[in-house]
Amino acid sequence: MGQKGFFTDTTVCIGCKACEVACKQWNQLPDDGFHFTGMSYDNTGALGASTWRHVAFVERPVPLPGVSTAIADFSWLMLSDVCKHCQRAACLEACPTGAIIRTEFDTVYVQPDVCNGCGYCVAACPFGVVARREDDGRAWKCTLCYDRLGEGLTPACAKACPTESIVYGDLEALHARAEARVQSLHARGLKDAYLYGKDAANQPGTGGLNAFFLLVDRPEVYNLPPDPVVPTMKAKESWTAVALGALGMAAVALGAVWLGEEARR
Amino acid sequence: MSSPHEPTASLLDQLQRRADGRNVDPTLGVLTGEGAQQRVKTLERAPGIRPSLAASPASPSYHGLPVIKEPVWIAAIPTYLYVGGVAGATSVLGLAVELAGGRRLRQLARRCLWVGTAGDLVSAGLLTYDLGRPARFLNMLRVFRPTSPMSIGSWVLAGSGGLNTLALLLSHRRGVPGKVGRAAGAGAAVLGLPLSGYTAVLLTNTAVPLWQSMHRTLPLFFMASATAAAGSLLSLLPHARHEARVLRAFGLAGKVASLAAGLAVERDAERVTEVARPLREGVSGALWRTSKACAVAGLVLDLLPRRRRWARVAADVLTTVGAVSARFALFEGGKASARNPQATFQAQRRGLGAAEAIANHTLASDGRPLSFPLRVLR
Repeated sequence: MGQKGFFTDTTVCIGCKACEVACKQWNQLPDDGFHFTGMSYDNTGALGASTWRHVAFVERPVPLPGVSTAIADFSWLMLSDVCKHCQRAACLEACPTGAIIRTEFDTVYVQPDVCNGCGYCVAACPFGVVARREDDGRAWKCTLCYDRLGEGLTPACAKACPTESIVYGDLEALHARAEARVQSLHARGLKDAYLYGKDAANQPGTGGLNAFFLLVDRPEVYNLPPDPVVPTMKAKESWTAVALGALGMAAVALGAVWLGEEARR
Repeated sequence: MSSPHEPTASLLDQLQRRADGRNVDPTLGVLTGEGAQQRVKTLERAPGIRPSLAASPASPSYHGLPVIKEPVWIAAIPTYLYVGGVAGATSVLGLAVELAGGRRLRQLARRCLWVGTAGDLVSAGLLTYDLGRPARFLNMLRVFRPTSPMSIGSWVLAGSGGLNTLALLLSHRRGVPGKVGRAAGAGAAVLGLPLSGYTAVLLTNTAVPLWQSMHRTLPLFFMASATAAAGSLLSLLPHARHEARVLRAFGLAGKVASLAAGLAVERDAERVTEVARPLREGVSGALWRTSKACAVAGLVLDLLPRRRRWARVAADVLTTVGAVSARFALFEGGKASARNPQATFQAQRRGLGAAEAIANHTLASDGRPLSFPLRVLR
């Protein structure tokens, strides 16, 4: 089986949304209502319960080296966003029912028949990926086409991508490919290119992402958090505070009873 | 299963298909998957952020869209934060009275048991209401997952509620049943300690910037505030004069501690301007100011010499209002901070993301030293 994942090279994304459509078709997800957001060509806006791939259209007043446009200082950046399938997944660690599991492909999967609709994974995800559908309250997100992987198929989005912006495969091979791509972009003058969330050293807060990205601007520009952390990593201090508070509360309760008894005499 | 969306093919259509050799089944286009019948989503934009990247190159965002998802919980959750906290603190006081109090305080211990049990049951009801179906609360006890404060909390609440009920039924009896009942009451009280504090861990163990920023202090605030609120509630219930001395000491300690912890919580949030914004502005800001004013007023009224009856009642009511509004303020404030992408971005750039949790991490994948706040490209 091995570790599977996505490498999304944003420099070759053309914003065709084939991945969004392929994902919706394979996973039988309904449309998003054909709304125009009124602020860009992006009509999906964000990942959600019915949107498991989302293409962000970033309009920048900054030129990209080697790309000429009609307007002087302008460039498009496109990013096909998806669930990151973190090595340390916040949703998985937060799920109180065991509905979220790690599969044999090292991906993170929400079992819809177990999901309780408590919404804890929604608040826990540092990337804002998991969403609750509004009617019955269950959580949904990208499954990395778990049903296709079992048959040895490529996930629908990667299969449909015409520019190989989305590459699916074994994580180690993807890492090698991504490193080579960054080297070649640097050699061609695009010094801003870097990998986002490749491994634990690159993104310690999540232990690395199984779906990592090649970006050419700050993560914020793509609506990605610059230094995300799985909230569980900070929980130890919170539990310590609870222990301290418990000591204090017990002392206060006993003290109050003793004081009250003393005052009686 | 025949779908209602299935188009009925006319005779001509059928003949044409046969002539073409097409074997396209029109039902193949009908969505039948488990996620298929969802309502479409609505997009939300951060309030006060203009939908443009060029607007502020120093702190960019993606059209002001939120970077994390807003918590989906309803008002039952902040209500539970109050009720559950009071139930836990009351159980703890009940055990203290059993252990250290004399025979004259027996009535108070019994009342604590009643209030604790009622609080546990109401809490379970509120959580079930948020989940939507009673069976879903039982489903929370499917597994025990130590990494999930919600899993731990579900077990704590279920255990505390069950033991409290057992104690209520048995503890006044003689012989073995009485012993079992009193042991159950003690167990419920021990569980009352985490019951009043775990909710803070549950909130801070999320990606919501406001809650995450106070992960060291919020448990102390919730537990102190629960102590104050439990003391006030028990004082509002009819009680004897010698019991009032115990309740006053208990509540007073809680009020002082909750004021101090409240200031600590606010100072934690103030480390980043955008994170603390909901505590100053909007509905959550108004609620937070109300909670502080009520807490101070309740404490001052409580400390007045030669207190009249009205002053005692007013102090207890004000403390209760303060405790409830503090929980609603933090709840709504957390939602507001989740809608604001800059709250997430700026906190992480200030080193309050992974850098805060993993101190000894220094090298990036390319061998260059990692510095937090992260290096800004370009």
